[in-house]
Amino acid sequence: MASVSAASVAFRALSKPPLKSNETSRLKIVSLGWRKNGFPSLRSSRLHVSCAQAKPETVDKVCEIVRKQLALPAEADLTPESKFSAIGADSLDTVEIVMALEEEFGISVEEESSQNITTVQEAADLIEKLVQKKPEA
Amino acid sequence: MILFRRVVIFTMNSVCFQRNFAAALSPLVPVKLPSRMEAHLWYVVPDEVKSSFLLSNYLDILSPCEKENVSRMRGEQLQKAALLARVLVRTTIARYQINGQVNPRSLKFKKNIHGKPELEWDDDQCQCASRLQFNISHTSSLILCGVTVDSPIGVDLEEKQRKLKNNILAFARRYFTPHEVKFLSSISDPVVQHQHFVKLWTLKESYVKALGRGFSGLPFRMFTIQFRTTENGDSCPSGETNNEGEIIVKSLEDVNSFSSNWQFALLELAGSHYAAICMEKDEAVEGEVPTPMKLTVRKTIPYVRDELISGPDAAVISGLT
Repeated sequence: MASVSAASVAFRALSKPPLKSNETSRLKIVSLGWRKNGFPSLRSSRLHVSCAQAKPETVDKVCEIVRKQLALPAEADLTPESKFSAIGADSLDTVEIVMALEEEFGISVEEESSQNITTVQEAADLIEKLVQKKPEA
Repeated sequence: MILFRRVVIFTMNSVCFQRNFAAALSPLVPVKLPSRMEAHLWYVVPDEVKSSFLLSNYLDILSPCEKENVSRMRGEQLQKAALLARVLVRTTIARYQINGQVNPRSLKFKKNIHGKPELEWDDDQCQCASRLQFNISHTSSLILCGVTVDSPIGVDLEEKQRKLKNNILAFARRYFTPHEVKFLSSISDPVVQHQHFVKLWTLKESYVKALGRGFSGLPFRMFTIQFRTTENGDSCPSGETNNEGEIIVKSLEDVNSFSSNWQFALLELAGSHYAAICMEKDEAVEGEVPTPMKLTVRKTIPYVRDELISGPDAAVISGLT
């Protein structure tokens, strides 16, 4: 896993132009242990550390869980790129989705990571990463 | 994109009516700034905003970026709620008339390091402008904006009937503190237990929003919300909606934390929602009694109607002395 210094990312955040809530520069921070060191968590910039692309089955399972949580009608369009907020998920929905994903995949998601789970694809990618990190049974 | 398409069709067909309708829109009623330890709460009921013409005027107030965000919402209801949320924030702030007339369209926003939206003022605007603080929350059926001067504020709304897909105690064990799990477990009536769950959720959300850290910046396991009744000082569940006493927060992450700086209020809004408000306490001046929190609640349809709300539509459950 690549490590990124908080200072350099913070600098990038400050030099960005003012408020645009949907950034086109896809920088995502995968996991933040920084809180323990007192670094602030960074939401305005997202640094993408390359991680494994999720398997299609994983993506499908996440879609299924999201559909169920949000009670989406069958005809509702849900793609891996769908933003949870755009399909009506609020913070409680997101937390419930994370809990269902934890149960389904036998993983544990840190709260700090929940801000990075904004789409189906992001959720699936994180799951894949956490599943791979699990100790051998 | 549904809203945009509708808006375009409407304005193309009704150009001749616009001048007459424009006269029907009332100007925004200016309002005095909240005083110390006072929060102004403004709310909109999306179902009561039906006029396409009004909505198209509302769209005009938004910045290009906000319009794009609205258009990305999937479905008319979500687009409308997103639109009304931005309109509520912009028109509400504009009412406080900092430096004379403020055009809601001209307001600028930025985000703090955790993503909390804040006002951004130009250098030449006076000091008092930068003291205005706000926070919003919305459900599909209600949109709320809280405003203070100086004090960081967090507000959170939840439908009283909001159902969890998970079991309440399983959810609480995963995300809440042991103290809160114990509190919820002690409630035998499932209806009351559910009510208290929703109350706890909104209070916890309002706290992390007031701090400007959000859920991922401050996991809910790191702090406990307690209801302290006046009788025995212990938290005690009650099924009644009259005053359940003081709400306090205790941090579990840092013994030396300033969690006693925060004051909470819990309301039942419009009969359908719980609203939690969290504000920083007024610093008590030596020898003086600290100012208690005061709330002024208004229901609004911007440019149409404002209504001061009291009584059952804005019933205080806990927190205000």
